[in-house]
Amino acid sequence: MSELRQIAAVCRVGIGSLRGRYPPALVVVIGMACVVGVLASMLSLTAGLTQAYLRPEDATRAVVWSGTANFDQSRSLHRDTVATVLDAPGIAKGADGAPLADAEFLMRLPPLEGFAAGSLQLRGVGPAGLALRPAFRIVAGHMFREGTRELVAGVGAARKFGLSVGSTVQLRDGRWPVVGVFSCGTDIIESYVVGDADTVMAAARRRGFAQVIAQLTDAGAYAQFRTWLTENPALAVSVERKTDYDLRVSGANTAFFTHMAYLIGAIMALGALCGIVKIMFAAVRARTREIGTLRAIGFGAVPVAASVLVEAALLGVLGALLGAACAWLAFDGREMWVWGAFRLRVSASLVALGILWALVTSLLGGLPPALRAARLLPAAALRAE
Amino acid sequence: MKHLPLVWAALWRNRTESVLTLLALSVAFALFGTMITLNAAYERAIDDTRLDRLLVACRFECGGLPVAYRGQLARIGGVVGVGGVLWLGGHEQDARHQITVMFVDEGVRLAWPELPMTQADWRALDASPAGVFLSESAAARRQVRVGDTVSLTTGPGGRADGGDTWFFTVLGMIPDPPGWGQGSVGPGWNPDLIVGNLRYFEASSRLDERDVVIVFRLAIDRAEHAREVCREIEARFTNASPALYCVPARDDAEELADATINMRQISLGIGAAGLFMILFLCANGMAESVRERLPEFGVLKTLGYEDGRIATLVVLEAIVPTVLAAVIGSALARAASALVAHLAVKGVIDMPEMRASPAAFGWALAAALLIGALSALVPLHRLRRMDVAAVVAGR
Repeated sequence: MSELRQIAAVCRVGIGSLRGRYPPALVVVIGMACVVGVLASMLSLTAGLTQAYLRPEDATRAVVWSGTANFDQSRSLHRDTVATVLDAPGIAKGADGAPLADAEFLMRLPPLEGFAAGSLQLRGVGPAGLALRPAFRIVAGHMFREGTRELVAGVGAARKFGLSVGSTVQLRDGRWPVVGVFSCGTDIIESYVVGDADTVMAAARRRGFAQVIAQLTDAGAYAQFRTWLTENPALAVSVERKTDYDLRVSGANTAFFTHMAYLIGAIMALGALCGIVKIMFAAVRARTREIGTLRAIGFGAVPVAASVLVEAALLGVLGALLGAACAWLAFDGREMWVWGAFRLRVSASLVALGILWALVTSLLGGLPPALRAARLLPAAALRAE
Repeated sequence: MKHLPLVWAALWRNRTESVLTLLALSVAFALFGTMITLNAAYERAIDDTRLDRLLVACRFECGGLPVAYRGQLARIGGVVGVGGVLWLGGHEQDARHQITVMFVDEGVRLAWPELPMTQADWRALDASPAGVFLSESAAARRQVRVGDTVSLTTGPGGRADGGDTWFFTVLGMIPDPPGWGQGSVGPGWNPDLIVGNLRYFEASSRLDERDVVIVFRLAIDRAEHAREVCREIEARFTNASPALYCVPARDDAEELADATINMRQISLGIGAAGLFMILFLCANGMAESVRERLPEFGVLKTLGYEDGRIATLVVLEAIVPTVLAAVIGSALARAASALVAHLAVKGVIDMPEMRASPAAFGWALAAALLIGALSALVPLHRLRRMDVAAVVAGR
């Protein structure tokens, strides 16, 4: 019998005997489920937040903001600067022939009733703002009208702050009505209230835009666009691909948490590893006579060792699937607020990571018992009690 | 006590497996202890923010608050100190490194005594307006020493002399305030604490940017009046330009903690998952141990051991390793917390200072007792139903 067929046969025997050894097998499954469940739950936050910031269409977009700050904090892109930015080469044109780029204004609003500190933000968008967001849909009420003191609230902001059509938001020049609620395919803009940029800036008595978002003709146009802007002596602006910019913004929110997730996952895996070694040693002990019999009738040491490894891996993967399923049931799609609304996401790649994590842990844990099983002498094993 | 030799012998029946169980338990308790300490660190970061401190800022985003408001705020009933704070952000010599200097006026000494500066520090800052104090983590990040110069470059024309760079002499280091720099102002905010003298900014900034601060910090006489004083401030400045917004510092810290990733809740969830994981390991170990030693227990019963004494033996056998693991795990958690605290001070990670506490050890011990007791339940049930004659006869 070839070695592969021997391995398959011994594995069948080993796995078949699992029914009689189900309590320790269950411990491995539950232990690994805890490890992968915690890891997937923690990383679902990073995945969800990244998805909220990173849109597929952003690959061909660029962000321009004032000065050399890392982010668009200064809000000092004046109209003349914006006009120059819109002249840059590489910007795609809309149906009307105008550059497909939007100068946007950002402002933190004073706390709403019942909230001590304010984390609701207002985004003023221009005519191209909606063209840049094809997923934008009004789900209640109507869109704000250009030049009027009207706002629309993103579904995330509406849920978090209890806003609906008819609510009002206090701005510097009085209360502005919320005339609509919009969704935008889980984009982070759903966490904002949005109004007409010019009207909002006039009300806020601010002259500077925060950023210009430009749709480029293609991804290759970025280099020329960037060079033109950064080497223009009349401008002092920063330029970045939107995907890179968004990765930095979401990364600033999640870097510590992501590191913690991997650290905790590693610590838990270390604990599970010790548990698996212990349980698989016990399994080898329980199967000593069975292993002795297999060796006596001609099965080699490698198939016996492989069967122990396969058993450990199988239990680990089952645990990973259970843990990922628990994480998915408990967290996938659940809305959270971390400087903005987003949905937790237990993605297929997270599940794959969990399975890989469990597989490595269980194979490492199964290795010492597998070696012990391989070294068992048939005669001694058959005499074991 | 007299049961201990029996329990000890039972525990070490299979040395390798016992060591592995102890290791697994210790790792789980190390995780649990670290999570409890992490939770406490985040809680403390909020608790250390006092309720008798108020923050006053523009109700609507504005270019700054006139310093002339200081006197009006000081005259409001209950207010015992008013300090003005202004942040100036830019980059260091290397444009990739962001830097923010927090300029403070002399009122901050009274309004914000928690700022970890000694009287000598304040005197030094007063005597050298172009000097700055850096928090230990900020200094470690920049590898600067007393007497070194740090620079801050803003946009062109930021200074009255047309320049765009401010130079500061490092006067000293101050401890990192608890909870400082939790990313609480949002992405892109530089968490380093660098304290400068507002007089220097006033003297060197453009004329149109002088005489304003970003925030007033107020100290009040009684914490229970905080919200009332805030309401009065907001009412008094409703029609002012700019209008004011006031919040007790504690409320602000709690709200901001909720606006970021809630590590307080998450740490407890992870600790619980770790314990759940080892509960099954312990229960399985105990069940296996009792199953393999049924004849031994049968003999003990035959010798006259009552159910209670046998139960004591089993419970002790379950509890001893968990308690031992709790002690080892807590020691490991202490080391892990010290490492994290070290990393936080060095600025490698951004989180409140972690301090190991007796409470964390207490929680670990309580969890160990609970897990030990729970994992003994099934084996005890089995022993109670055991047929002594059959077991002793080997049936």
